[in-house]
Amino acid sequence: MTTRSIADALANTAHEFPFLGKITAQDLLDIVRMELGHEDILDGFAPYGKHQARAFAPETILHIVSGNTPHAALQSLIRCLLLNTHNLVKIPRTGLREVEEFTQKLPAELQAKVEIATELTDAWITQAGAVIVFGSDETIHAIRSRVPASKPFFAHGHRVSFGIVYEDPTFASTVDAAQDASLFDQQGCLSPHIFYIREQKPGDAIRYAGQLAKEMEAFQEKHPRGALSAEEAAEIFHLRTSYRFRAANDVRVACWESVGNDAWTVIYEDDPWFVASCLNRVVYVKPLPDNLETFLTPVRQWLGAIGIWPCEPRFVENLATLGASRICAIGQMQSPPFTWHQENSQTLANLVHWVDFEPSSPIESKS
Amino acid sequence: MSKQSTNSLEVRILNFIQNGTGNFGKLLLETFHYQREHNKAYGNYCANLSEPKTWQEIPAVPQTAFRHFPMRCFSENETIRTFRTSGTTGEGFGEHHFRSLDLYESAARKGWENASLPDRIEIALLPTPKEAPHSSLSCMAGWLAKSDAFFINEGVLQLERLRHVLNLATEPVTLFGTALAFLNYFEWLESKGYRHQIPNYSRVVETGGYKGSGREIPKAELYHKFETALGVSAQAILNEYGMTELSSQFYTRGIGNTHIGPAWARAMVIDPVSGHEVPDGEQGVLKIYDLANLDSVSAVLTRDFARRHGAHFELLGRDPAALPRGCSRNADETLQRKNLK
Repeated sequence: MTTRSIADALANTAHEFPFLGKITAQDLLDIVRMELGHEDILDGFAPYGKHQARAFAPETILHIVSGNTPHAALQSLIRCLLLNTHNLVKIPRTGLREVEEFTQKLPAELQAKVEIATELTDAWITQAGAVIVFGSDETIHAIRSRVPASKPFFAHGHRVSFGIVYEDPTFASTVDAAQDASLFDQQGCLSPHIFYIREQKPGDAIRYAGQLAKEMEAFQEKHPRGALSAEEAAEIFHLRTSYRFRAANDVRVACWESVGNDAWTVIYEDDPWFVASCLNRVVYVKPLPDNLETFLTPVRQWLGAIGIWPCEPRFVENLATLGASRICAIGQMQSPPFTWHQENSQTLANLVHWVDFEPSSPIESKS
Repeated sequence: MSKQSTNSLEVRILNFIQNGTGNFGKLLLETFHYQREHNKAYGNYCANLSEPKTWQEIPAVPQTAFRHFPMRCFSENETIRTFRTSGTTGEGFGEHHFRSLDLYESAARKGWENASLPDRIEIALLPTPKEAPHSSLSCMAGWLAKSDAFFINEGVLQLERLRHVLNLATEPVTLFGTALAFLNYFEWLESKGYRHQIPNYSRVVETGGYKGSGREIPKAELYHKFETALGVSAQAILNEYGMTELSSQFYTRGIGNTHIGPAWARAMVIDPVSGHEVPDGEQGVLKIYDLANLDSVSAVLTRDFARRHGAHFELLGRDPAALPRGCSRNADETLQRKNLK
């Protein structure tokens, strides 16, 4: 299959998975073009500067994906299918329904390029020309130790994300903020842990938290959160108890919680330090400090995305150097484009190797 | 409540601890009313909660309350002793203030006696109370051991001295210490190729805990090391479950048995979703009601998981998922440490 025909097939299949966002074949070809220079450069020699070049992907790529977010797993698989490579996908022991369903819906020729298993064998590691891992640092460390140092290894450890509301007098962004904090039950690296609110007048942040709580409930009514393990439930229980106690004694703390269950929790805290949520729809709201950078110091190296509202260029420059790989609108945090520079770098470009051809006379481009 | 009646309540609790005279539920409810009135932070917390009709309904405070607020029913200048939690990385430390150690001492001694332990500790793998004035464990050991029974000096476990004393022991001895201290000693013994066979009928009381060490081994493995290094079987080893935020202790012998508390301290295993006590055999979060905590707060919600066995519990340990999942431990610790500022 050519890259173009693969892109068509992938876009058709992705269409049936709305959580991936709207993806056209051209979107996928754009990734190839932007990262590799030409849409056809995987199929044959194509113009590359003053000469020609052809990109070769590894014959086989091993993906080790986590159960947290099927989105990340499918993006990885789609990108590598675009490279026309064979894919070995190690999914969690409990399965990963979306990846399995996506593969089943692919045309036979592409389906044959995907193997899925719940156990990682040494044979797969040997077979793979490159390894892509999503998971905790412990997982990454454990797998890295099994992979020869000479083999390309791409690790996607966990990240933390947050949002900043610069201007929103009507709190309209709370609908989108609730969605970002609730999708995938907050398990993804793009899930916001905190929303920082720039206060136009004192009390804006706490009022925002109250409104966000309403929207968290509204989202929960339409999209109930998944079941929790006893440990996860206990974590929310402890957190709520702790913050309730603090709220009873400190006006700088307040909390809102779903009634009769632990579906969602919003905590207002007038303390600018970044704090990691225990996840599963537990989100903090804090007033935005002047020197946010200082209060993000402990998490700078683990930043994923920053959602902002309004999403306008005037706010971006100050955020660009914080370490996050993505700045987007609140409401779009969970929908990264395929062209996203995950881990602050390109994805396809890192996987291919190149052969250049310098003809004695220029050759016309195919497209 | 007047000072006189406070004393009266204290005396009645002391009587309950020492002689079993009185009614736990009534004393605890009375204690609750006293604490709600005099412990300001607890009073504020209870203000919006419904009035408990039974002791089981008394609101419990999270352990973090001891970190954020002064959990005492008396003024700061009446404080004679403050114990601090050991400050596990990422957690900061909580403080438990006392204006009298009478209840704590009484509870510790009587609890020890109830666990059928010899009345003297010969070897404590702990610093002396003088060296560690903020350690409730050292304080307790100070009541049960002679001053020369302490084997941690200036933060260092005195390995050779300990080996020497154990080698000389001809009568049964009682050893007391944290799991980490024992583990360190066993690893040193192993590295030197040494082992002991301490006298029959010796007893070991380990308090669990690997705080700050970044390591933890399964209990069965630790107890196997006791057998290898000291020659004591699991049945001769007790685990003491206690914490700085409490004044009473729970004990279990060997592996796989339940922890049993004294009459003046009760455990309840709570369903974290409903907040109600779990059915027998189910697991949940451990809540402790401790009458000996008269001057702070008696109902404490721990961070530990347990399985309910009637009025007793099987300790399952601190929830391993307590750290935010996904992040590396380093990341988690950094995040949490910074959160404490």
